[in-house]
Amino acid sequence: MNSINTHISVINALFLREMQTRFGSQKLGYLWVFIDSIAQIVVLAGIKAILFDRSMPGVDFAVFLAIGILAFNMFKSIVFRSMDAFSANKGLFVYKQVKPIDALITRAMVEFLIYICALMALSAIGLYFNFDVNIQNIMLFVGAYIWIAIFGLSLGITFAILAEFFENLKKVVKLIFLPLFFISGIFFSVESLPLALREWLLYNPVLHFMELIHGSYFSVLDTHYVDYQYMFFWTIIPLFVGLFLYQRTHKVILTS
Amino acid sequence: MITLEGVSKTYSTNNGVKSVLSDVSIKIPTGKNIAILGLNGSGKSTLLRMLGGIDYPTRGRLYSDKLFSWPMGLSGGFQGSMTGRHNVKFVCRIHGKDDTDIAKAIKFVEDFSELGDYFDMPIKSYSRGMKSRLGFGLSLFFDFDYLLIDETLSVGDKNFQKKSKDALMNKINNSNAILVSHSMPTLREICDVAIYLRDGNLSYFDDVEEAIESYQAH
Repeated sequence: MNSINTHISVINALFLREMQTRFGSQKLGYLWVFIDSIAQIVVLAGIKAILFDRSMPGVDFAVFLAIGILAFNMFKSIVFRSMDAFSANKGLFVYKQVKPIDALITRAMVEFLIYICALMALSAIGLYFNFDVNIQNIMLFVGAYIWIAIFGLSLGITFAILAEFFENLKKVVKLIFLPLFFISGIFFSVESLPLALREWLLYNPVLHFMELIHGSYFSVLDTHYVDYQYMFFWTIIPLFVGLFLYQRTHKVILTS
Repeated sequence: MITLEGVSKTYSTNNGVKSVLSDVSIKIPTGKNIAILGLNGSGKSTLLRMLGGIDYPTRGRLYSDKLFSWPMGLSGGFQGSMTGRHNVKFVCRIHGKDDTDIAKAIKFVEDFSELGDYFDMPIKSYSRGMKSRLGFGLSLFFDFDYLLIDETLSVGDKNFQKKSKDALMNKINNSNAILVSHSMPTLREICDVAIYLRDGNLSYFDDVEEAIESYQAH
């Protein structure tokens, strides 16, 4: 078997194995991704309706929430699951064909596919219940989803490797994601923020992704605040740092 | 030929750096069944892992044009959250087997390993012996030049041990084994040549008996 074929076989085997363990234990596993996200959408839409009357004209707020929450959950899931990829597959590294990086990339792919399916299912529901499902710029919208997935993967690679050496890193990362949910523009737009806050919150790269997702979806919103260069650096630097560290430490990861 | 060129292997432990091989250069002829002798901690399992391509020398080079199995040991070698069946499928897939072969492998391993209902339970519920039976059964399904076996022949009851040994004897008609064992009768029966690991050195013996004498003299 040549090396390309081996590689494809390994990714295929890991993919099936990840799907199996991700959902095999409980039959409702596939459904859980929807239930989880839909519950968040309903709760936040409810809070918004009760507490704040000020709505964005021309924006279906439930949809605004839905596309942001799904993207954020996907991003979070990719970071967390790839961060755990090495420790969760250690038993399989006894086969020399299976490289740690394969396990990580397969995990990120599985999460991406799950959330794309969730997005499509939610769109179907939206269509049925007459929510606003007209996407202004579909290419940009899809591009933003793919980009944030890659962003999650590059962070995941770096964190996964660092976590091999600093045990507590995973806990810190998980802690950071709690406040991140509230400052990433999932239920607000940058435009609606006070000027002083706006400047600070725009240091958060995830906010740019959310702006891009919302701006590409709704015709009344734009992507004025999105700094593509800033997003690019946040994606490419962890990716290269991660791959560089992997190159230097993969033997240690294999044997630890 | 299995070639070691200036191979050193050290580990850093809590009690400082531990060396298991220091600057070993040797060419080991292939086509023979090799016994590996040495005290606990002398680097037997490490050598198997390096041959199996999942560990690397700290310095130097170790290479061979032969195809080695994964090292079959008592500890692990499987993913605990997966069932025996899923592990068999996984290993078949990474070796590029198609669905027909996978079905055959499952049938074969299920029969050989005598795991019963455990075959469909997560590996983490297995005893060490059960894991070894699964791993050994699975390895018999593939064609390697060398099977790397670490103590797994001594698991199970007398019947199973006999079955394993017979299966291995049958297998080494076409391929070879590299065997770590503390059971001298097993080594005598199966192996043609021996490697003795001691104090970071590796000595090669054309005759298993000589190696055993040397080993027991210390």
